[in-house]
Amino acid sequence: MSRYILSRLVLAVVMALLATLVIFLLANTVPGDPVLAQLGDLAASNKEFVAEWRAKWGLDLPLWQRYVIFLQQLLHGDLGISISSQRPVLQDIRDFAPATLELASIAFLLSLVVGIPLGIMAAMRRDSWIDHLARLISLIGVSSPTFWLAFIMLALFYGGLQIAPGPGRIDAIALPPTSVTGLYLIDSALGGDWDTFRDAAAHLVLPSIVLAAATLGLITRTTRASMLESMQQDYVRVARAKGIRERRIVIGHILPNALIPVVTLGGLAYANLLTGAVLTETIFSWPGLGRYTFRSAVTLDFPAIMGITLIVAVVYLFINLLIDISYALLDPRVVR
Amino acid sequence: MAGKLGWIDRRRLVQLLGAGGGAIAAGLPSRVFAQTRKNTLVLGIDISDTITLDPARLAQYTSPMTVSAAYDSLVTMKPGEYINLAPSLATKWARTPDGKGWRFTLREGVKFSTGNVMTAEDVKWSFDRVINLGDQPSQYIAHVDRVEIVDKSTIDIILKEPAEPLLTIIAAPEFVVLERKVAEANGASAAKDAKTADKAAQWINSNSCGTGAYRIAAWERNQQIQLVRNDHYWGGKPPYERIVIRHISDGAAQLLAVRRGDIDAAFNLIPEQIAALKSEPSVRLAPLASLDFVYMALTQEPEFNKALAVKEARQAIGYAIDYDGIVKSMLGGAALRPAHFLPIGVSGSTEEIARQIAFKQDLAKAKELLATAGFKDGFEFEIAYGNAAVQGVTYQDLGLKIQSDVARVGIKVNLRPVDQVNLRTEYTTGKSKGGVLTFWNPPAVENQLWAAAVVQRVAKRVHWNPPEDIVKLVSQAATEPDPKKQAELWVEWQKRVVDQANHFILFQPVYQIAVRNTIKEFPLTAAGWMLDLHGVTPTG
Repeated sequence: MSRYILSRLVLAVVMALLATLVIFLLANTVPGDPVLAQLGDLAASNKEFVAEWRAKWGLDLPLWQRYVIFLQQLLHGDLGISISSQRPVLQDIRDFAPATLELASIAFLLSLVVGIPLGIMAAMRRDSWIDHLARLISLIGVSSPTFWLAFIMLALFYGGLQIAPGPGRIDAIALPPTSVTGLYLIDSALGGDWDTFRDAAAHLVLPSIVLAAATLGLITRTTRASMLESMQQDYVRVARAKGIRERRIVIGHILPNALIPVVTLGGLAYANLLTGAVLTETIFSWPGLGRYTFRSAVTLDFPAIMGITLIVAVVYLFINLLIDISYALLDPRVVR
Repeated sequence: MAGKLGWIDRRRLVQLLGAGGGAIAAGLPSRVFAQTRKNTLVLGIDISDTITLDPARLAQYTSPMTVSAAYDSLVTMKPGEYINLAPSLATKWARTPDGKGWRFTLREGVKFSTGNVMTAEDVKWSFDRVINLGDQPSQYIAHVDRVEIVDKSTIDIILKEPAEPLLTIIAAPEFVVLERKVAEANGASAAKDAKTADKAAQWINSNSCGTGAYRIAAWERNQQIQLVRNDHYWGGKPPYERIVIRHISDGAAQLLAVRRGDIDAAFNLIPEQIAALKSEPSVRLAPLASLDFVYMALTQEPEFNKALAVKEARQAIGYAIDYDGIVKSMLGGAALRPAHFLPIGVSGSTEEIARQIAFKQDLAKAKELLATAGFKDGFEFEIAYGNAAVQGVTYQDLGLKIQSDVARVGIKVNLRPVDQVNLRTEYTTGKSKGGVLTFWNPPAVENQLWAAAVVQRVAKRVHWNPPEDIVKLVSQAATEPDPKKQAELWVEWQKRVVDQANHFILFQPVYQIAVRNTIKEFPLTAAGWMLDLHGVTPTG
């Protein structure tokens, strides 16, 4: 087992580096010039200024040398300096990641807590009102464009009914809690500042529902389909023939088997939530990684692009690794 | 088995599903902030472009507003008056006796937010820092030779080119006065090696050491900038205890927030959102006349396009575009249109002058010019544009409008959407094969900055080699001491470049800012920092 995990780990590191190489090459094939994404008109037309600027960011070096420098820095745990924010990429990521982590985690929990029971119920009462309702919810969740759903939610609950707070992580005039983890819920709870905790929690409701919508739909549908399949299995028929109570059949026999695909899907969905919240973050003015990624990409901020690629790759690979390991635990045949 | 719900009953399911909605109501914070809100000004604006609050490193669009609230320059511009300067930290200024520079008399008794008195030493040090840091702002005062202290309340700024304009440039928030002692204690340097020696970036991004009405207290990136009152402000007690510049990237969200009163002003609304506010009694619309340009540049490189190489053919395009339609129908009238790259409001550019010398739609004349150019049956060219919008109008829509306008005289336009950075790369390296739709905004309000660029780098981009006399006209106008004669020279210059027909100004935006009626004075300015924050006052 440990050999299996070790080999997967080595593979994960190689994959992460490969991902950065691909992105590095891809980002550098864009015909746009980062000078022109960063400098004003007068400065960009001054040859000396531009030359000095390129040298400062290492953009005057050959491509391979730049990648080697990236790897060298990486060995020292350094992701370089972001061209557009002029701060260490690691510091930027540390600043922006907590907002995304908090939002994605709440959204993920929400989609599990609602999606799994809903899927189970839909499967057990196939073609009943609850199945139709589940279908409707997942259909809306999967098919509504995020920016549309985000805006409708804001307009309805914030603008119209006025029961939800507006964009941002906390009220406009509130001060953020003293930063320990960067997660406002945890930081405010640690400081015993329950007003801020309530404020931060309320600000999380709408964006996490919006972000959860698509995942919720997927999880509901997958749970339902997987449940239906498990219910047809021989061991369920046997259990029922033995006269075991329905409740025990569901919990003890059907669910454990039916949830395996949900584990896989859930893992990847979480990774996806962590890395793909650009639109939700935009509409809700959420100061997270999504916006940072978007901005880095459009301004050709190479160090930031590389840093984020690495983080995203690591997140995916780590979660994949967890899934693989859980497979190995669930099904010993995988290791052999 | 389908008849049973199993281990979760219907009621519990409904509870589960309802949990989301319930949490909204239960989680709402008590209105503990109501009291604080009265003394706090909250602005809703997209500040994602802010990457620094260091005056000597400023190069973005929204950050000057914050910097101008925390720091003062020697001279300034009052909203609406972009020709004559107003006193700020300097009360008087005149040419130095030898005529090689400008002499400033400093205001007496001005204190920094620390309570220390501002000295001539601080002023000199601040200018030295801009110059020696060598970041983008230094480019605009490249003609400054040195700053000299004459006595404790007088300084001289000596120029390499004495006739070159200075005052209008140093009114910008890049050229403000910092408290030397505090700045140096936090890593700042104005020495020759400031480029490497200055380590103040981190401190200066979340603090300030100026004489302005407010002091920077915090900046959480992509969230908000916090300012607090400077009790030592020389211009009287500022009315707000705190100012929060809140990052709200989406216009629709800004609209909701200003309606609810969570923010006092919304800066990034598009025409439809502005229309939605017309019936809102608690919110008014304040026009922010900008000095920005939205324009089309046209190459004249014959290798790229034979027709565009002919001046009359380019002029035909100029006469075919329906400028009034763009301003009235697409922008709801919220724009001006100058004749060329001198915005309405600066020397030599008024709406009246623009009406006389700018292109206007005249299809008969366009056809006539096409015939003269030898393209009686029209020609074809491409227009490239980025994926962006100004005042809610996308470049794509502008492209479509021009396409349909010029089609009426037989000119065919191929639209080509390009990524913004690629577009700028193509354009500035002179590789654009036809027209380019783009934007220009001023770093400082000085005619020469625009005009010199038009005959130098901007000309190169469209492969125009300007005749000597047009180039000369720019320096002649810029250095003309008599304001009336100067305005005439600028008019003359505009006539020449309009005739050249390489650039068509489509409009000069007048942004609409939604302001709640809890705000009395809201002095918006086109001078580059958008709003005189020190002049904002509450009602009652």
